[in-house]
Amino acid sequence: MFGQGLIKGLQITWKEFWTKKFTVQYPDEQHPVPERFHGRFVLDVDKCIACSLCANACPNKVINLKREKVGKKQFLTEYVMNIQYCMFCGLCVEACNKDALHFSQDFNMNQYFYRDIPLVLVRREAPAEPEEEQAGKTGEKPQRQAKAKKQAEPAAAEAAAGKDPGKEGQ
Amino acid sequence: MLRTQEYFLNFGPQHPSTHGVFQIILTLDGERIVKAEPVCGYLHRGIEKLAESRTYTQVIPYTDRMDYLAAMLQNLGYVQAVEKLMGIEVPERAEYLRIISGELSRLASHLLATGVYALDIGAFTGFLICFRERERVMDLLEELTGSRMTLSYARIGGVADDAPEGWLDKVKQLMDAMPDYIAEYNGLITGNEIFQARTKFVGQLKPETAINYSLSGPVLRASGVNYDLRKVRPYGIYDRFDFEVPLGENGDCFDRFYCRVREMQQSVRIIQQAIEQIKEVGGPVQAKVPKVLKPPKGDVYHEIESAKGIIGYYVVSDGSNKPYRVHVRRPSFINLGYLDEMLRGYLIADVVAILGSIDIVLGEVDC
Ligand code: SF4
Ligand code: SF4
Repeated sequence: MFGQGLIKGLQITWKEFWTKKFTVQYPDEQHPVPERFHGRFVLDVDKCIACSLCANACPNKVINLKREKVGKKQFLTEYVMNIQYCMFCGLCVEACNKDALHFSQDFNMNQYFYRDIPLVLVRREAPAEPEEEQAGKTGEKPQRQAKAKKQAEPAAAEAAAGKDPGKEGQ
Repeated sequence: MLRTQEYFLNFGPQHPSTHGVFQIILTLDGERIVKAEPVCGYLHRGIEKLAESRTYTQVIPYTDRMDYLAAMLQNLGYVQAVEKLMGIEVPERAEYLRIISGELSRLASHLLATGVYALDIGAFTGFLICFRERERVMDLLEELTGSRMTLSYARIGGVADDAPEGWLDKVKQLMDAMPDYIAEYNGLITGNEIFQARTKFVGQLKPETAINYSLSGPVLRASGVNYDLRKVRPYGIYDRFDFEVPLGENGDCFDRFYCRVREMQQSVRIIQQAIEQIKEVGGPVQAKVPKVLKPPKGDVYHEIESAKGIIGYYVVSDGSNKPYRVHVRRPSFINLGYLDEMLRGYLIADVVAILGSIDIVLGEVDC
């Protein structure tokens, strides 16, 4: 009989009318964000050895990092991500051997101004360093540099023992 | 028949029913279509060219951006092509995860196609109901990969990550509930007489024509041609699953639509079997591959059955760490080839019905 399908459709619509709501009132309520979510990046500065593995793994050249040589170690002075070009693919996070770069669950990355978009994860001065330090002589070091060195020590030693990280994805 | 002066009508590129930025220049005689000229390229990003300046791994996220509705299948075609070129064996568990996520992607794509097609014809409830399940599928994919649409989950030699704790059970739960939902779509959309009146015997496509125009996917199978790469030339581990290939009879809009609905049922079956089988398979999800991939000189062509049809990747290697050339056979683009002749003689109102039944995605048409 013509119209039977229509009636059946209406029945389903009415049934759905009484079932539990599936939508939530965003932004007052939110669905939980899963653990693996690709949100805003966080960098564990103490773990990072400024090896550029992440920057080289990125297809879109999102990651710009600057480093300075302090003693024998590389010191990360700037880590800026131009996330307007980011595809949130996760290749950079995967590339990091030191587990320093992570995604967070924060998806709220919109900005009013273009200049605010780049995500500045680190911007700092390299510690001052006396000339003779570079030549490998032991001398009196400034307090703050000693501290920075101590943090970078185990990570850098590991990198030196492992393969050359700079080769990845060139 | 009384003839009036012909005139042009621009359909798109900002028309919501073109499913993206797609333009058809219609030549009309009254309300009848005399000629339809598809204009694509509004979303062209030069992905094939971009791939030449990226390493083999770095190409993966770009493949997502073609058919973003079934991104895993796009990833899969590319990584399998490179794996074929390099002779990489993929671990069992990774193969299963690829099947599960791939079929979930197909499900998401078909759910969208079904829902949006209902919307194109004018049924809003059907659209929302389909999107409810699509949302659940997306949530599952998000939990697995971290992204909702552009998954970038496949890697050369495996997948990015193992399934999180309890994820497989959640997938199983949804898959067990899916048949009821599909019955709901059938009740709401397929059985609706108005919907049938709008789609039956509209935009008919003969099997020979479909083959001659190299159409693929549900568009081809709705015409009654039994050609599904998963059955004909099983890639990965598709030969281990028991499923049917839904076929149509008339090759009209209704058959194309209904083919997709039945394909969803088959996808559900495949996922259920895969979940049963993956339980016994442990081990790594990533083969041991060198950090810097340098495939041997040569070329490879690999094609898989994506949600829209056969997607093929042609990769040429010159022995360096970047592909020399990547070409993609995009099913959406090729399926559009017959649009002009399919539309001729129909009314303006049928344009949306016919275009929607082909189920194109503009990211893939323009690449
Ligand atoms: S997520 Fe992808 S695109 Fe974004 S910074 Fe990392 S590698 Fe680059
Ligand atoms: S790969 Fe890791 S350790 Fe190296 S620079 Fe990037 S975040 Fe730092």
